[in-house]
Amino acid sequence: MDGKAPQIRLANLLGVSEPFIERVRLYRKKIVQTGGIFRRNRMGVLGLAILLVFVIMAVFPAQIMWVFSTVGGWEYPYGPFDEVGPIGPGVEPSSEHWLGTDIRGNDILARTIYGARVSLTIGIVATVVSMGLGSLVGLLSGFWGGWRDEALMRVTDVFLVMPWLVLMIVLAAVLPGGDSVTKIIIVIGITGWSSTARIVRAQVLSIKKRAFIERARAVGSGDLHIVRKHIFPNVFPLVFANSILTVALSILSESALSFISLGPNATKIVTWGNMLDDAFNTAHAMDTGLYLWVIIPGLCIVFVVLGFTFIGYALDEIFNPKLRKR
Amino acid sequence: MKNFRRIVLRKILNSLITIILVVIINFALFRMMPGDPTKFMVPSNPKFPAEYIEGLVEDYGLDKPMYEQFIIYLKGIPSLDFGTSFEHKNTLAMDHVLDYMTWTLVLVGVSSIFMISIGMSIGIVAAWKRGSKFDTGSLAFSLFFYAMPTFWLAMMMVILFAKEWSLFPSHRALEIGDSFHFTLASFMDLGDHLVLPVATLTLVNIAAFSLLMRGSLSDVMTEDYINTARAKGLSETAVLKDHAVPNAMLPMVALIAITIAYIVGGAFQVEYVFEYPGVGWATIDAVMHQDWPVLQAAFFLIAVAVVIANLLADVAMVYLDPRVELG
Repeated sequence: MDGKAPQIRLANLLGVSEPFIERVRLYRKKIVQTGGIFRRNRMGVLGLAILLVFVIMAVFPAQIMWVFSTVGGWEYPYGPFDEVGPIGPGVEPSSEHWLGTDIRGNDILARTIYGARVSLTIGIVATVVSMGLGSLVGLLSGFWGGWRDEALMRVTDVFLVMPWLVLMIVLAAVLPGGDSVTKIIIVIGITGWSSTARIVRAQVLSIKKRAFIERARAVGSGDLHIVRKHIFPNVFPLVFANSILTVALSILSESALSFISLGPNATKIVTWGNMLDDAFNTAHAMDTGLYLWVIIPGLCIVFVVLGFTFIGYALDEIFNPKLRKR
Repeated sequence: MKNFRRIVLRKILNSLITIILVVIINFALFRMMPGDPTKFMVPSNPKFPAEYIEGLVEDYGLDKPMYEQFIIYLKGIPSLDFGTSFEHKNTLAMDHVLDYMTWTLVLVGVSSIFMISIGMSIGIVAAWKRGSKFDTGSLAFSLFFYAMPTFWLAMMMVILFAKEWSLFPSHRALEIGDSFHFTLASFMDLGDHLVLPVATLTLVNIAAFSLLMRGSLSDVMTEDYINTARAKGLSETAVLKDHAVPNAMLPMVALIAITIAYIVGGAFQVEYVFEYPGVGWATIDAVMHQDWPVLQAAFFLIAVAVVIANLLADVAMVYLDPRVELG
């Protein structure tokens, strides 16, 4: 014993290696820094606040309706498929039904609140699909190079150049699967991946030229290791910032598809898009003057899209240091 | 200059490949679906008599192997023959689509002029007065309309300006039944009907142009040659007009090309809500009636038009900016 107390290391306590702890510390520092930039960005905070409202709507629709029913003194909190009004062209708003009832006699307010869940889910899952597809194509294309890159890029061009709505309409019309949510997600996913593929490819090409890739090769790293450990971590932040903006686009896509009656079946699934489809195509709410039926679900779409757009721009500023300096 | 020609040739070749892929996808989408092609290609509609359906099976070779069907399809491409419309008998699908094309070109053309000029002006002023009230205000304004579903904004326009205030008509492109003549009255009529659709399409797309112009001009303003121009004693207006704006225009050319596809998507929605007789309206109508030949013709025509527009913008870009590399 030379009087020195044995040093207790966090790594030993947790049973993990020292470099791992160091990495976690670095990550933590980075996250705290990023969070600081984000908080200072008023646009991002505003976007987050808007989204929070809609996330609460998507997670607790029944509870929100319960609060409304107590405030309004209704018989019970209506669900989105409860027949509480007459079947027909829809009924004007009243104290019982603040936004009126629709063609199936469903409460429009209830449908709007419950609509948040599917609208958000479709937007997010479709984005995951198109981001996954786009990143895969971009990574392979940039990493392989040569004729395989050429071939993939020509296919990407087709999807980049095709007007998105036209392609979605045709896909929704010819793909099997009827009016299921899965099909809508696939249609939006297939339509939206091309710009991601372009961005990822460009990033991979620029990283490939850097010295640390060559160094990794020199010490004998395999392709998979390089992609996983060196290329992917450098591409990911870009994909992430981009994907937030893509969620906004996916939600707009869903609403447009649903609006022209190519979306999910409105008797089983509520989205804001198919509410507008009911209002415009079936009930002719524009002629009968039931404007709230058109205005409120539409405003929900506008604010959700705005929320995602704000956050997307804020993240872009964080991950893109060139923009910050300007 | 030799390099310029090589790049342009390469771009043309790429566009040709894209068009060939579009031709193949246009075939595959409608034939490769699971199930009996004779059933899918010819929708079971009680309106169609049995001999008509048999005739269609014969025409498209739907009972033959896939490669023979593909050859039949390819033979029709040079003459733009996608067969006759199911819904409008005795009309070639392409003729049907072309009838509507003029109207779409009028809508998209007029809107583009407005969105480009207004969007760029906003962007220039915003970049020039960065951080000012105008900058923040215009950003909020553009993003707000950018976040709107185009069809919904169209409906809001109808509610406000057609229903509540009865300022403009909400339907079609001309008074019902009238066809267009080159007379003043006809032009007035068309103009009256165009106001709301054009305003909708313009408002939704302004953000793309104003934001990029702002970004591009902000970048240029940090360049050394702007300082040089200022040091020469030029006025701020002269610096902006002669040195900054022309250099900030380059990315705009590329953007116009990319945006065409989005504008067409927006035009579809506008046409649908306003019952404006354009390609978008015809396409959605064809989907609802399962009129596949018309859908194929529309898909092909729009894709090729956008590919060519992109090619022209690309070439313009290479011509304007010698730094653009092959790629």
